[in-house]
Amino acid sequence: MVMAHTADPQPVVHKPHGWRRWLFATNHKDIGTLYLWFAFCMFLVGGVLALCIRTELFRPGLQFFQPALFNQLTTLHGLIMVFGAIMPAFTGLANWMLPLMLGAPDMAFARMNNWSFWLLPPAMALLLLSFLVPGGAAATGWTLYAPLSVQLGMGMDLTIFAIHILGVSSIMGAINIVVTIINLRAPGMPMMRMPMFAWASLITAYLIIAVMPVLAGAVTMVLTDRHFGTHFFNAAGGGDPILYQHVFWFFGHPEVYIMALPAFGIVSQVIPTFARKPLFGYTSMVYATSSIGVLSFMVWAHHMFVTGMPATAQLFFMYATMLIAVPTGVKVFNWIATMWEGSMSFETPMLFAIGFILLFTIGGLSGVTLSVAAVDVQLHGSYYVVAHFHYVLVAGALFSLFAAVYYWFPKMTGRMYGERLGKLHFWWSLLWFNVTFFPMHFLGLAGMPRRIPDYALQFTTFNQIASVGAFMFGLGQLIFLFNILHSLRHGKTAPQQPWEGANTLEWRLPTPAPYHSFHEAPELETAENGVVLDMRGGKHG
Amino acid sequence: MAEAGRAANTVLLRRLLLVVLLMFGFAWGLIPLYRVICEVSGLNRVVAADRLADDGSTTAAVRPVQLVLDTMVQPGLPWQVLPPARQLQVRTGQFIQLQYTLRNNSRQAVVGQAIPHYLPAEAAAYVKKLECFCFRQQVFQPGETRHFPVVLVIDRRLPAEIGSITLSYSVFDVPGQGEGRP
Repeated sequence: MVMAHTADPQPVVHKPHGWRRWLFATNHKDIGTLYLWFAFCMFLVGGVLALCIRTELFRPGLQFFQPALFNQLTTLHGLIMVFGAIMPAFTGLANWMLPLMLGAPDMAFARMNNWSFWLLPPAMALLLLSFLVPGGAAATGWTLYAPLSVQLGMGMDLTIFAIHILGVSSIMGAINIVVTIINLRAPGMPMMRMPMFAWASLITAYLIIAVMPVLAGAVTMVLTDRHFGTHFFNAAGGGDPILYQHVFWFFGHPEVYIMALPAFGIVSQVIPTFARKPLFGYTSMVYATSSIGVLSFMVWAHHMFVTGMPATAQLFFMYATMLIAVPTGVKVFNWIATMWEGSMSFETPMLFAIGFILLFTIGGLSGVTLSVAAVDVQLHGSYYVVAHFHYVLVAGALFSLFAAVYYWFPKMTGRMYGERLGKLHFWWSLLWFNVTFFPMHFLGLAGMPRRIPDYALQFTTFNQIASVGAFMFGLGQLIFLFNILHSLRHGKTAPQQPWEGANTLEWRLPTPAPYHSFHEAPELETAENGVVLDMRGGKHG
Repeated sequence: MAEAGRAANTVLLRRLLLVVLLMFGFAWGLIPLYRVICEVSGLNRVVAADRLADDGSTTAAVRPVQLVLDTMVQPGLPWQVLPPARQLQVRTGQFIQLQYTLRNNSRQAVVGQAIPHYLPAEAAAYVKKLECFCFRQQVFQPGETRHFPVVLVIDRRLPAEIGSITLSYSVFDVPGQGEGRP
């Protein structure tokens, strides 16, 4: 800084090649790319498990999988999708985009960033390996409820260790995100003007830091109950299996928002771009996101209405849960108000964002239905719950991830994705998603329990519809894979500004984003939601 | 500038790691916390002796109730638990004495704990147990058989819609206290 350069020197671009570039990756873009590809692979693995489940459920009776294996399939499908696909995908996007959106040279702790990614493959390997050990994988459902999780075979131990490693990984990733956002914003990018995606990532990261250790504690207790003679969850030894549910859901409910808030952030970037209007109610969006984060710690027992809680506790958790609908509603109305009288165009990211709003709202409303303690007693553990959380996780988190990948693909790769294929992917996914999951509402209302390989005959038709939908939905994801792979090589060269309405900082960078961006921080003049009015300086390698 | 920035990052890193440690501790702290909450609020008091108080429970009308006795032993355990009968016709307010027979069918000494539960669940508040083998862990020598009296009173204020109460005992082994598995 002090030295005066006579000529502007070309910065040394250090870009390792071959496998070293990835194994020793410290560049936030490389790590982001690794995260995204890893998440997509895990999405396919988890998807194959889901298709196995749907194959078995195509007809009543047992055809392909015995109940023990079926339970392993549902468990691993849940664990892999939550910890292997959705969470890493959001972390990957945060890695890729946060430094670009905030004007930072890289993430705060580049080496830790490398570790937080490279812990994921061994953890997932442990999970998948558990299928092969005697007794098979964990068969408890993703919640790993005691006392079943205390009784199962060694696959459960592998699962517990996998969760420990995943916890360490996501905590390190979250710490990196918090420090980057708090400390590395460029001058002129105050907190109350930074992009909603950064706000959502920040609050998500705080949630991860707060609750992943609680999950680690819960599974450690299961481990000591299994092997070291404790009885935290053993009724005879003075423990209580219900206690496990309390500790688990103290983690589990914030976890739900860990998978939802980044989606809100993405949609809050995409909608203003394609509506060509600033985000409506930015400040209220920030406060809504924060209050969802805070409230998420106070509602956990709504997952436990049938455990025999006192009525007062049921009422408290019921009303607290309903309260979350308020900030969520604020966000939905703000997105709609952003689109109102906007000059909208419907490129693929926008389609996915609008699909997100539509379907996430359905999922949110079925959530409010489930929050009513009296109704939940009927619906608890039924397919209605399965329908509900797939509306918020598939049509919510996953659709927002597709929106994000299409939205930022030109900036990441320098090429445009195929728009026609992208639109086909959207309409295909929208149709078959609903064919798959909408009938599950009816199945649940009619009383079909979740996590069973066999069912009463009257549920056959809806199950067959759902199974056909699931296979078509899965097939549609190959359109996405093909589009990405094809566009990486043959896509049209993308301009610096592929979206007319995009005005956040990442679009001020050349396309594709240079390997080392902002190694000198830019001076910014910003408006709300990270809109850059003016930028001076800021050098790239 | 770069050094100062790095120092600030490290400070924040340490603080966040502290939060991680605290939250890990918090997960373990939830165990005693829940115990205290259960004790203070009187939830989950299934294996403690109840007291009969003169709190209006003697003024309500006496009526007949069907009492169904059920026992369960966790799979793989050597216990045999025999209730005195499958079903009894009793009256509310009556002192009911039941003779349970417990046997250890294994060649090892075992320690067991019985946990009662009730169907319908809301009946639990009205069944007052004065004496029960479930109040403490029971040590059994190899092959030993013992008889235990269970004394209980069903509160006269039992809601009218409850005409039948199932009292079920589950016996668990107490790990680390004896050889539970045969």
